[in-house]
Amino acid sequence: MNPFILIAILPLVMVLLGLVPSTARRLPWMSAALMLVQIPVVGWVCYPIFSGRTLYWGVLGMDGIGAAFTIITTIVSAAAMVQAALVMPAERSQGHNITDRRFGMFYTLSGLFMISMYAVPLARHLGVLWIAIEATTLMSAPLINYHHSRDSLEATWKYLLLCSVGIAFALFGTLLIFAAQHNSAGGGTMMISGLIAHAKEMDPRLLRFGFVFCLLGYGTKAGIFPLHNWLPDAHSEAPSTASAMLSGALLNCALVAIWRLSGVVTAAGQAELVRHLLVPAGAITVVAASLMLIRQHDLKRMLAYSSVEHVGLLTLAIGIGSGRVFILHALNHSIVKVAMFLLAGGILHSYGTKALPKLGGLLKTIPVWGVALMAGAFAVAGSPPFGTFISEWLLLRDTFAAGETAAAVSVLLGLTIAFIAITRHIGRVVLGTVRAPVETTPVRSWAIVPSALLIISLISGVALAPPVMRVLTILVQAGGRR
Amino acid sequence: MNLSQTDLFAAGAAVVAVWMCGLTRVKTQLWGLVLQAALLSSICARLAMAEHYNHLLVLASAMFVIKAVAIPIFLGRSAASMGITSDRGANVHPTVTLIIGCGLLVIGYFLTPHFEVPAMLNPGSAGMSVALLFIGMLLMITRRLAISQVIGFLTMESGISLYSLTQTRGMPLLLEMIIVFEVLIGVLIAGLVIFRINRSFEHIDVTHMRGLHD
Repeated sequence: MNPFILIAILPLVMVLLGLVPSTARRLPWMSAALMLVQIPVVGWVCYPIFSGRTLYWGVLGMDGIGAAFTIITTIVSAAAMVQAALVMPAERSQGHNITDRRFGMFYTLSGLFMISMYAVPLARHLGVLWIAIEATTLMSAPLINYHHSRDSLEATWKYLLLCSVGIAFALFGTLLIFAAQHNSAGGGTMMISGLIAHAKEMDPRLLRFGFVFCLLGYGTKAGIFPLHNWLPDAHSEAPSTASAMLSGALLNCALVAIWRLSGVVTAAGQAELVRHLLVPAGAITVVAASLMLIRQHDLKRMLAYSSVEHVGLLTLAIGIGSGRVFILHALNHSIVKVAMFLLAGGILHSYGTKALPKLGGLLKTIPVWGVALMAGAFAVAGSPPFGTFISEWLLLRDTFAAGETAAAVSVLLGLTIAFIAITRHIGRVVLGTVRAPVETTPVRSWAIVPSALLIISLISGVALAPPVMRVLTILVQAGGRR
Repeated sequence: MNLSQTDLFAAGAAVVAVWMCGLTRVKTQLWGLVLQAALLSSICARLAMAEHYNHLLVLASAMFVIKAVAIPIFLGRSAASMGITSDRGANVHPTVTLIIGCGLLVIGYFLTPHFEVPAMLNPGSAGMSVALLFIGMLLMITRRLAISQVIGFLTMESGISLYSLTQTRGMPLLLEMIIVFEVLIGVLIAGLVIFRINRSFEHIDVTHMRGLHD
């Protein structure tokens, strides 16, 4: 069977199940099962890529980067859906007035959101890439508005508006790139491979303009400073499973788009442009996000700003052209950030608030969560035993090696500030005094998914370093770049 | 300077956008959108006739039906159902916006050489599409109602379609059609969100939506 259709089948089943009103009670477990089966399916499809092959099907194709981000999206979606099966029925019974129809719609839209996120790394055509990213915006906006509260409506509106404007800029940029090679011999193409092959014949001026517009557009979607404005609102107001998908998978999608475009610009002999734009953008994003991390009053907003910081690191990795670090850090960040958002969802449920000053004493009230949250905080901040440390260390090494000393030093400074800010905030949540009555009935099983993710991060940090790097080298070569 | 009919239509769309900057009545602004979309679809139809690209006729009719008929009717009905008639503008008075809009039009005209594709039929249109893009952004920034921001976004989108029509030839039809439909879906979702905002805030004034901050 066609591998690209195969990937979409199980999410599509979820979409259809969500539309059947009578399944509302069984829906959470059915979706969790579907997404768990999706992991081996995607693994089987992506397996040939690990031996350096590439798959093509019209405007879709799977190369190394495509396979890596398809796997990340699958892991994130599976974790989110399993956690949703544990948490969302309890949330519904707690008195949030959520009808069966809205509940089913959540799953329908999640399925469509996943399919559109799969399409992004697999697109070989700039137009299809744009359509897929626009589709992720349209499908995820209603997810943010799941609770229909005033704050979630405001966040949805901001998200919809800012990302639509961003994506409009990206469309304009895409058109400029298309126009840049339209007069060249052989006519125009929007296939990324065709653009790279004929990159030298493109009009350099229009290509530069096009790249800048695309960077503005996809950068808004990725949350590069100062275009990150929608991100903390959307991530804090969405239900935690949706926040996990937004942070763990959606931000990566926008960065993949930037990676693809920077590939085209590099092939046109303008690697300097990519570096001059992306390296400072990444470094500034890291520093700005770390400063904003200090004065946070909301657990989920804090995690969102930490995502902005990691987007900065990933932008820097793209800027210095280090594909290995880009994939590795995207994977590590997604795993730990999803774990953190899922834990935050549990805390919001049992404490009834996500305001940091009101949270405290998690280690006393629900010890398992306390341990997991503390471990997660260290992982998110990039401390040694976890995978994030390895990838951040490699990124710094590559940045120094690329001669970008100023960027490397400011990133180091940003990472230090972020470490202090995150551990301080989370330390107070875990160790501080219990300030409000806490509902401890929610079960320990809610910590299973986050703990499993943190253990994966630990393993990738400790045991697998050399073989992981070998696999990554193969994946990046399959992507046709260094 | 030798202006083709296409260039005149493109300039017309940009002038309509400037005119919209000075308007306060939502209904009149929607008529502005209708005019813009009609001008764009006639450019598309003209290109189809001149170059014998029959597939562009399909696109022209889709653009007309969706952007000049369906979307304005949808937005007009939504506004009527929420009892909204006018947007007095946030921060900047509409007259000032009008003057800034004129300035952007001039800037767009002078930017033309930077964005046009050499040896194409419609040299003047590239700058007009950039002007439309900027004026659309201006409309979004200076209005206070959520529905006016959608109108501004649609103006931006007109600028982009104008560029794609006049400066590139042979964008795949399927792609163009999907983009038009995605705009429609986006407007429908935005309409739904605006409806909910109106229900829970009892207004759609985005300058008064300040619940979320650090």
